[in-house]
Amino acid sequence: MIYAITLGLSFPLLGFLYLMLSSHFTSRLKAGQIACATVFLSFLCFVGLVSAHFNSSEHYKTIKLFPWMHLGSIHSDISLHVDELSLLMALIITGVGFLIHVYSIGYMDHEKDATRYFACLNFFIFAMLLLVMSGSLIALFFGWEAVGLASYLLIGFWYHKDKAAAAATKAFVVNRIGDLGLLLGIIFTFYLFGTDNIIEISTRALTEYPIGTPVMTVLTLLYFWGATGKSAQIPLHTWLPDAMEGPTPVSALIHAATMVTAGVYLVVRLHPIFISAPFTLQVVSVIGGVTALFAALCGLGQSDLKRVLAYSTVSQLGLMFLACGAGAFYAAMFHLTTHAFIKALLFLSAGNVVHMLRGKTEMAEMGALANKLPWTQWLFLLGVLALAGIPPFAAFFSKDLILEEEYLSGFDILYYVGLAASVLTGIYLTRAYWLTFRGASHLSPDDEAHVHEAPKVMIFPVVVLGLLAILGGFLGFSFGSLPILETFLAKADVRITHEELISSEFFTPETIMAIIGAILGIAATSWIYYAYADKLTRPWRIFSNAFYFDACYSALIVRPLERLSSLFTNCVEPKFFEGSIHWAGQAAQLASAELQRVQSGQIRSYVAWMIAGASLLLIYFVS
Amino acid sequence: MNIIVTIIISLAMFGIGLIGVLSRRNALVFFLAIELMLNAANLLFVGFSKQWGNQIGLVWVFFILVVAAAEAAVGLAIIINLFRTKKVVDVDQYDSLRG
Repeated sequence: MIYAITLGLSFPLLGFLYLMLSSHFTSRLKAGQIACATVFLSFLCFVGLVSAHFNSSEHYKTIKLFPWMHLGSIHSDISLHVDELSLLMALIITGVGFLIHVYSIGYMDHEKDATRYFACLNFFIFAMLLLVMSGSLIALFFGWEAVGLASYLLIGFWYHKDKAAAAATKAFVVNRIGDLGLLLGIIFTFYLFGTDNIIEISTRALTEYPIGTPVMTVLTLLYFWGATGKSAQIPLHTWLPDAMEGPTPVSALIHAATMVTAGVYLVVRLHPIFISAPFTLQVVSVIGGVTALFAALCGLGQSDLKRVLAYSTVSQLGLMFLACGAGAFYAAMFHLTTHAFIKALLFLSAGNVVHMLRGKTEMAEMGALANKLPWTQWLFLLGVLALAGIPPFAAFFSKDLILEEEYLSGFDILYYVGLAASVLTGIYLTRAYWLTFRGASHLSPDDEAHVHEAPKVMIFPVVVLGLLAILGGFLGFSFGSLPILETFLAKADVRITHEELISSEFFTPETIMAIIGAILGIAATSWIYYAYADKLTRPWRIFSNAFYFDACYSALIVRPLERLSSLFTNCVEPKFFEGSIHWAGQAAQLASAELQRVQSGQIRSYVAWMIAGASLLLIYFVS
Repeated sequence: MNIIVTIIISLAMFGIGLIGVLSRRNALVFFLAIELMLNAANLLFVGFSKQWGNQIGLVWVFFILVVAAAEAAVGLAIIINLFRTKKVVDVDQYDSLRG
């Protein structure tokens, strides 16, 4: 079992190292195959672990790698901790990650620098695995930072494009702001508990600190601050839509399998601590709910296909945090799982479109692609229906569970916010579908001749994801008995909070409301875009500009900072720092100009000086 | 003889040497004046040695004489070389080390 864990973790790392070192003599195809193989081997390791898990009584495994720091009362060991939660995450990361790797072979077929791409992709998988499998907060933080680094490298993969480089920097900087929260949280944890072992903290938190203790509230708020950065929640969400500048498979990887799920994972992993801080849970709910609704509205106004999907991710992550805030950590994990399948499906099928249009992502330049990309359009439509919550596709079950849990928790307003966000999901995705695949064609004549269905290597992974999007919901749903995912995660203490959800009838009024809302949304949007496509004006500016968050940040933070730094470069630096050095030099030169007169070269003057000095000494000693 | 007379003669010799060093420009005379100052010190050593009946002063005189002889050898060699390069014996012209 130990070998499977360490091997599963190290395969992608080995792939990364090999590809980095051999980048000069590895061909594009071979690099892709190696990268896929390492992730697939890693996936097999975790599948093996899961099957071994069901046969053994031992339900988690902790491997102490090495002691990191033992200072006084502080003890910290770097360790791996693999339980059901880690396994589920590892399966999603390597499984969906593997499909994205395979897809990338097709997507990057014109890329010169593909070896670097695949190396970074492998590193991304490794970093995320480290994040979800670490048993100590320090190791988790290391993975957390490595994920940030990998995302920086991949978003800025086309570093010669200014926009891509700027987006990568933005992602990195905004993530750093979140990371500060997590780091402060870890330091505070050391202060409170003297250790960073996640399991130890989780067990001790509930016994040592009564529910609602202010220190726990502060601690969890710090963790949640970290989570908002990685998981792109308000107010740190702005990097995610910009991250669309990277290659589309990277977007799929960031949005589905890795990176943005890290924040949700962190909250779920530390849920015993979060439970002891009801105030934080309320904050989590409110931020999640507001983000879900906000991002859904932004999604309505985007003209860029990938940005619609990006805001959709932000919105779905908001729903996951909404669930976390209601204490429904199982619902959050369930939605994370189904969302991973569906979002990868949507991104990869959008990637087919983008690839065939040679990098164009504006929906204004698409339209009527359904005949040219038949497989892709069906798969995208499947993704739309699945994420919109149409039964029996995957996200219906998970989203419904979140809304039910929210409803039963008694946060009425947040329930309606979540419901609205979920109905809007159907609307903005249908809009994207119609603008891309239906309606009138806005392709350039050049593209018109060029576009054809994507190659098999790019269709196959999407088909697998499509199957998962259809069937994934049944992981967490079964009539009467406990669903398989619930029994699995319950061992890691992540379970359905409200008993009545297990036993009660399936079609509650809330469920029916959600289904009708989703269907009506999709139908209405389709009808509008079918009948009135030519009468539609531009979307509202406030939506397409994402409520002016970027403009506000630019006016409040970026520009003052730029002005301050230009003040420093133009004024303080030349006048003060350089000036002070200049004046010091001048003073030395002036002083030496006077002093060098003494050095006349006249031997008689030296003698005179010597006699004067000797006389002074004499006078001093005599008197 | 009274020690006072010795001291006065010695001081006079030293003063003459000092004034010579400061005022004369001819390198040889300059050098001569330095020797005069050394010998002023010698005279004082001898005088005090006789006054206190102590031979250490005499020993010092021998040391000073030896050093003066060595110094004269080195100093004259320097002066000759300077004369060869500069073609003058005026010490004020030897100012190549001016800062």
